[in-house]
Amino acid sequence: MRGADLLVSYLKQEGITTVFGYPGGAIMPVYDALYDGGLKHVLCRHEQGAAFSALGYARASGKVGVCIATSGPGATNLITGLADAYMDSVPIVAITGQVTSAVIGTDAFQEMDVLGLSLACTKHSFMVTDKDELANVLQQAFTIAKSGRPGPVLVDIPKDIQLADVETALAISGKDPIAQHDDERLEAAKQLLANAKQPILYVGGGVGMANAVDELQRFVDSTGIPSVTTLKGIGAIPNSKPYALGMLGMHGTKAANLCVHECDLLVVIGARFDDRVTGRLESFASNARVLHIDIDPAEINKLRQSDVSLCGDLKDILPALTTTLSIHEWQQYCRDLKVQYNWNYDAPYRSIYAPKLLNQLSEKLPSNAVVSCDVGQHQMWVAQHMNFTRPENHLSSSGLGTMGFGLPAAIGARHARGRQDPVVVVSGDGSFMMNVQELGTIKREQLNVKIVLIDNQRLGMVRQWQQLFFEERYSETILTDNPDFVTLASAFNIQARTITMQADVAPALDEMINSNGAFLLHVRINEADNVWPLVPPGASNADMMEKV
Amino acid sequence: MSLAQHQLKLVVNQSPEVLERVLRVVRHRGFKIDQLNWQYEDGELILSVSSQRALHLLTNQLAKLVDVKDITELNMMKTSKSA
Repeated sequence: MRGADLLVSYLKQEGITTVFGYPGGAIMPVYDALYDGGLKHVLCRHEQGAAFSALGYARASGKVGVCIATSGPGATNLITGLADAYMDSVPIVAITGQVTSAVIGTDAFQEMDVLGLSLACTKHSFMVTDKDELANVLQQAFTIAKSGRPGPVLVDIPKDIQLADVETALAISGKDPIAQHDDERLEAAKQLLANAKQPILYVGGGVGMANAVDELQRFVDSTGIPSVTTLKGIGAIPNSKPYALGMLGMHGTKAANLCVHECDLLVVIGARFDDRVTGRLESFASNARVLHIDIDPAEINKLRQSDVSLCGDLKDILPALTTTLSIHEWQQYCRDLKVQYNWNYDAPYRSIYAPKLLNQLSEKLPSNAVVSCDVGQHQMWVAQHMNFTRPENHLSSSGLGTMGFGLPAAIGARHARGRQDPVVVVSGDGSFMMNVQELGTIKREQLNVKIVLIDNQRLGMVRQWQQLFFEERYSETILTDNPDFVTLASAFNIQARTITMQADVAPALDEMINSNGAFLLHVRINEADNVWPLVPPGASNADMMEKV
Repeated sequence: MSLAQHQLKLVVNQSPEVLERVLRVVRHRGFKIDQLNWQYEDGELILSVSSQRALHLLTNQLAKLVDVKDITELNMMKTSKSA
């Protein structure tokens, strides 16, 4: 069997049904094997699009996403997607072609040291040097991508190995390096919980990655501990729960940040004290003891010393910690703050107020809808004003903050989820242009993806910071020369319309949701609208700005 | 502020790129390599590193490398000052 055929048959054996990629010289044998290999291949229009589609597929399905590219520029174009998956712990396997073994290291056409490039942005990477090792390498790649804290793995395959007759037998390997937690620590953790008067759960993306949402919700229902979530933790605890205080951090809710500031025990569940979460680290929950639960030992005591840590699978640990607590006064206090600082959607003008539009969209969408957003002001408004009941329904480039994520990630989600689950992109006029070529993928595959393009003719988040922290010197953030987005959509056979007034919002959202096939809703908003509240850089989370 | 110097012994897989992987993590996590002894055949790497950061911030990251099988701290000595 050729190496390329082995790859395709191994992917099917792993349960992979859809892959995302772009052909080229050094990966041609693999594309030959894909031609009638029985796998669905989605032709993205740039390798970065393929990487983000694989990422969106993985995040929306909980499975491993696979992307394929050729050597040299194909592989370098994947790098940003790998970095994004690394920061957000998403299991993807990237297959890259490499020039023929004999010419590696001679600066051959389209040769690049992809293994070298991969070191900083993958969990692990392989270059296949022995044709009979290909099967083992593929198995290891999938095992590593999925195990422990998930992440991206790159497999670089020289063209001659794709063409060679290879050994297909697999050696059995099954090392899954999951850390342990012992009974003594579990007891200490229970003691911390029992002694706490003002505990808070700080819930991160690890809950969704561990597929432990149900376990977390049982823990929350039983203990009654008020909770806050990170950007990636959104959906792990629905906002409708009485003591769910929403997102914390730089653009978090006032209730979330204030309650964390005042808590006496911070229970950190699958989260890592990111600087956008903590603000000034020294003043973050500074009177609290810390119980840190995570699968990655390297996150324990990395930024904040914990009093007790439990390292392992949240699916096992959370049930073992589930107990009942008597914290009524604190619950009431948190609940009062949640009510007091609830969002106010009374827009003072007739033009469109994006937070209100997104809240309306959220109410119109069913709970199984997937929302994929880009990066910037609209991303924070999605996090603040849309409601999610599962983390896999909210796709957002969190750790890396990669503009251009939204559209290709939605294409991946569209392939991961059944027809009954709507997929909606929320993008900004800046981000949208970064992978706009993926409209070609939507056209080619005739994908039912809805796009809400929030257009302030600005790079809005940078503009906001220029206004607040750089004396209103709007350097290269004014985009009044944007293309006509409705015409752009029509070039790809995508229905589109523009709205500018508040009164147009509800009917336009209905039209988009009820349309057949792809639809782009171009939403013009006021360029001066900012994301509030905001914790200024270097400040404590208790010191939130709420206006200019 | 004092720089702490540490000597680490790493047992690693015999792969050509393992040294790059280790060195990249050491640099990126804020440690400087003062001395290095590398025996490819034995899969053994002895590193003297220094940093103002706590050693576990490095060893926990090195331990995550798939090619690193074992890490031992051989000794620790406080050395002089810096910035």
